[in-house]
Amino acid sequence: MKLWTTLTEPILRQNPVTLQILGICSALAVTTTLAAAITMSLCLTAVLVAASGIISTIRKHLPSSIRLIVQIIIVASLVIVVDQILQAFFFEMSQRLSVYVSLIATNCVVLGRTESFALHNKPLSSMTDALGNGLGYSLILIIIGSVRELFGHGTLLGYSVLPTVEQGGWFEPLPLMLLAPSAFFLLGGLVWLIRSLMPKQVETPEHKLVPAEEVPG
Amino acid sequence: MIRGIWNRETVAMVWVAAALPLAVTWLLAEGSAGAIRLLFVLIVGGVCQAMFTVIRAQRPSLAGLVSALLIAMLAPQVGPLQFALGVAFGFVFGELVFGGWGRSVLSPAVVAIMFLGFAFPAAAWPHLPVQIEWAVFPAVVLLLAFGVLPWRALAGAVLVLVIAGGFALPPFGSAVAVVLVFIVCDPAICATSPLGRWLAGALFGLLFALFGSVWQASAVQMAVCAALLVSLSIPLLDELAIAVWRLSGRFRHG
Repeated sequence: MKLWTTLTEPILRQNPVTLQILGICSALAVTTTLAAAITMSLCLTAVLVAASGIISTIRKHLPSSIRLIVQIIIVASLVIVVDQILQAFFFEMSQRLSVYVSLIATNCVVLGRTESFALHNKPLSSMTDALGNGLGYSLILIIIGSVRELFGHGTLLGYSVLPTVEQGGWFEPLPLMLLAPSAFFLLGGLVWLIRSLMPKQVETPEHKLVPAEEVPG
Repeated sequence: MIRGIWNRETVAMVWVAAALPLAVTWLLAEGSAGAIRLLFVLIVGGVCQAMFTVIRAQRPSLAGLVSALLIAMLAPQVGPLQFALGVAFGFVFGELVFGGWGRSVLSPAVVAIMFLGFAFPAAAWPHLPVQIEWAVFPAVVLLLAFGVLPWRALAGAVLVLVIAGGFALPPFGSAVAVVLVFIVCDPAICATSPLGRWLAGALFGLLFALFGSVWQASAVQMAVCAALLVSLSIPLLDELAIAVWRLSGRFRHG
């Protein structure tokens, strides 16, 4: 039961992207097509789960002073493995994702989870938490990726959904959707939507407006 | 004048009154096509404002009328669906989401126009008729008389534009006049410190002169781009003005 909560909590209620605003660099960069977004999500989830498992297993032997170095080394090795697998079996996709797979090593979601959770918990719950965070990250990437591909190209996973004008249909693609700013707008809109559905996630305002001054009569 | 009646909506009414000659001149020049465009923007913008009023209990502002006029006048020509998207984006993300007129750092007109400009780079930018420039003069007089217009920003921009133009006549076109008065000098988004206002105006003039010398684009596009960059740098300019003020205070008191 507790494992189930650990798994589902980060998907929507504690989502790493929309609540903690972590890992948005890759969320903006690789979501131009749905296929790239899904590949990136899979890579990140795999690295996150494996890294959490390994770090949690050795957590009692890790001197606190060098723990960050060790974590980075473990994460980076896993990233290299994933990158090599992509290059070996999905060469075209690895070309399209370019440096962003290697940049998983610097993704704040990964280090954030290993540092704050895996260092203090048993391997099984650490890996569950990692999987939940990976799924939460994937959910956002897939939502943004599908919207951008649908309105930017009129396709989903390469299949034509909205027939574009060039193919004799009616839909005029929005080139803006393929540029990075649109991912910012979509992410902002998504955060807004989630926070208005779950007002608990709203941050406390830093400033408050002073009521208008009364003029003495 | 009684201070008690000077709330946000009084300023907005003066603002709308100043835009009236502009609207009439533009509609006379554009005819029914312009009227339909304006009506379209008013409806889309009005629906957005109404939604925020109903859901968030946010008071609508008359200033939205001026924003709608500016969008209808200055936005590039795109299809109706894309236009509606751009207008709704401008109103919602440029203003309403921050709490309405007076709480946003950007004018919804600038956001909508630049959104359409970036989203559809192939779209044609409008060309403003020359009499628009003359319709701006009564607006400036009215706004200055009521003290709504930040005159330092206006003066800074005019100074730089006249010097950069080599004192030629006429000093600048109608696109610059409209954008300068109704976007850069919007009292809700212009800088708040005196020095910041001078700097904001001067920056607009500089940017426009720079764009004019290196960029082969329509005057409207250059003016709106310059206005966007100025609006985005206004918090920095205000911060600069405050830093200068603090520094001068330190020297004065030893």
